[in-house]
Amino acid sequence: MSLKVNAHVGARLRSAAFRLAVLQALLFALIALTLFLVSWFAARHYIENQLRQTIADEFAEVIAHPAAQRAGSIRRSLAQVPRGAYDYSLFDARHNLIVGDILKEPAAGWSTIEQNEGLRDGRDLVRRILVFAAVQDDGNTVVVGRDLASVDQLDALLKSVFTWAGLAAVVLALVGGMVTAGGYLRRVEAIADAASRIAAGDLAARVAVTGRGDEFDRLAFSLNGMLERIQSLVEGLRQVSNDIAHDLRTPLTHMRQRLEAAMEEATSVEAYSKACERAVADVDSVLDTFAALLRIAKVESRQRREGFADVALSALLERLVDDYRPVMEDEERAFTVEIATGIHVHGDALLLTQMLVNLLENALHHTPQGTPVSVKLAATEQGYRLIIEDAGAGIPPQERSRVLKRFVRLDAARSSPGSGLGLSLVAAVADLHGIALALDDADPGLRVHLDFHAQQSA
Amino acid sequence: MKILLVEDDIDTRTYVSSGLRAKGHAVDESGDGNEGLLRACAQDYDVIVLDRMLPALDGMSILKKLRSCGTQARVLMLTALGDVDARIDGMEAGADDYLGKPFALNELIARLNAISRRSTHANTMTLLRVGELELDLAMQRVHRAGKQIHLQPREWDLLKYLALHADEVVTRSMLLEHVWGFQSSPHTNLVDTHVCRLRSKIEREVGPRILRTVRGEGYLLSVKQGP
Repeated sequence: MSLKVNAHVGARLRSAAFRLAVLQALLFALIALTLFLVSWFAARHYIENQLRQTIADEFAEVIAHPAAQRAGSIRRSLAQVPRGAYDYSLFDARHNLIVGDILKEPAAGWSTIEQNEGLRDGRDLVRRILVFAAVQDDGNTVVVGRDLASVDQLDALLKSVFTWAGLAAVVLALVGGMVTAGGYLRRVEAIADAASRIAAGDLAARVAVTGRGDEFDRLAFSLNGMLERIQSLVEGLRQVSNDIAHDLRTPLTHMRQRLEAAMEEATSVEAYSKACERAVADVDSVLDTFAALLRIAKVESRQRREGFADVALSALLERLVDDYRPVMEDEERAFTVEIATGIHVHGDALLLTQMLVNLLENALHHTPQGTPVSVKLAATEQGYRLIIEDAGAGIPPQERSRVLKRFVRLDAARSSPGSGLGLSLVAAVADLHGIALALDDADPGLRVHLDFHAQQSA
Repeated sequence: MKILLVEDDIDTRTYVSSGLRAKGHAVDESGDGNEGLLRACAQDYDVIVLDRMLPALDGMSILKKLRSCGTQARVLMLTALGDVDARIDGMEAGADDYLGKPFALNELIARLNAISRRSTHANTMTLLRVGELELDLAMQRVHRAGKQIHLQPREWDLLKYLALHADEVVTRSMLLEHVWGFQSSPHTNLVDTHVCRLRSKIEREVGPRILRTVRGEGYLLSVKQGP
């Protein structure tokens, strides 16, 4: 427990927030020191001035007496009970003390003297006295002084006040720093925690949001958004891996069974070559699936966006429709085509062709012969809309978003060849081009909308 | 044809070379890039089959150096499965064709035939003749025994490609690539439908077929009665 606490305190002491708090405490201390010095000098200056003023007044009073009476007046002042606040002395021209309690003649003018007053409580009592001395007309020197004890007391008081206040400021700053560091550390640790939970495999872990809307919340929001995306990508990947495993197992199992059967039962060269032929067809279907998956992955990686150029969509579609018209005729399908001319978009012509081929092939594969198919390209308010529609069985509403995923094949389509990747590629190409893809009911049949937005059209 | 096969995978190399020899071609083999490049520059080959991923020197580098050592050989590049961009890179670097692994041997042979030097006269020719058919490449017209046959633009492209490779088998994916410009081969009967239509226009109602379907391989435009 104490180890844990120590570790926790250690973490706080090492945190960037605490380092900031220490810096702040130092700054506080410096400010307190400056404040003290300034106030101290100001206060001292003021009090000394006051003191000098009173000494000067008293001095004027002393010399107002005629020279012959000064000694007597000083003696009277010194004999007063209680004793006045001032010290007086009178020295003759030869610097001998005539009367007074300042024992040694100071230099003329203002000075501070120290005078030993003998023992008091077993210690030398040294008084500091501010004095003013001036030689008078009679050659004697008048000295008036006043004890500096009050100034020294103020000094001591100021010093102790500022020392304690300074110490308190530093301690408060440090404690505040610890608290702030703790708060920040908790938020940062919450993020680090979520990160390590994710590293440990829990992709659903998220950073807690306090709801205060501060910078940590904003960070948590963006991190959670990123995690959301990563989780969906990883889950997609996991899904695809499962699907691949499942989808490839079927043809591989068939192939194995056929080859085994051939080994056991085939008796003629023809039978063997027939078995081989079917095995090759199985392998080809597996390879086709791989190629389609790689193509989708390539499109989804978005590298091809660099190769985007102006594509004459109308002309591209015209050519494609011309290519498919004979196929439609052979299958006795009514093929309705309405293509607005001169439409250009920004994109990859090869991929767009592939997308449209897949949609047309889908209409051909999943509807019976004789089912009408129509293709329409028109300008809309927002851009261009391409509709490919058939009058077949359609896709139930609840399945429409599912069929865009990899390997999804509706029950009706299971018997026909195909990998379940055609619409996935369509969705990937549409996504790459920023085309809004929607599957709709053509009543009856399937209607595929492709909305090219104006901003991405060239 | 004299063919150089540069491929590091021993199984693929043995399989392909024996398949090509069985068709009567002379095949030299090389297992790494540097040796392959030396051979390609030292001898006069019709076609070089070049794997893209090779030890020491990769296929793309060899391709660039080949052109600077002055060889006239055609180059077919082999690459890993279904990499469309790699194919574009290869073509830009000067490969004459590109084939994704794994491939059927028939597909490789058909493509080698198509790019070999025997088929290079196309650029300078204005008139192609296959039996009774006469293709005017400049005017994009086709006559049979002096009588013009009207073709759709795509049918013309298809016939021209078949005629340029007359007496050789061309595969469905070659047609999808070169006539339609598709990079991948969807499950489609587009090619069959168009070939069928073209056949009905260029063949007489009686008499031998000249546009034949070769089962499991592709199509063959030929007046020779053969295999």
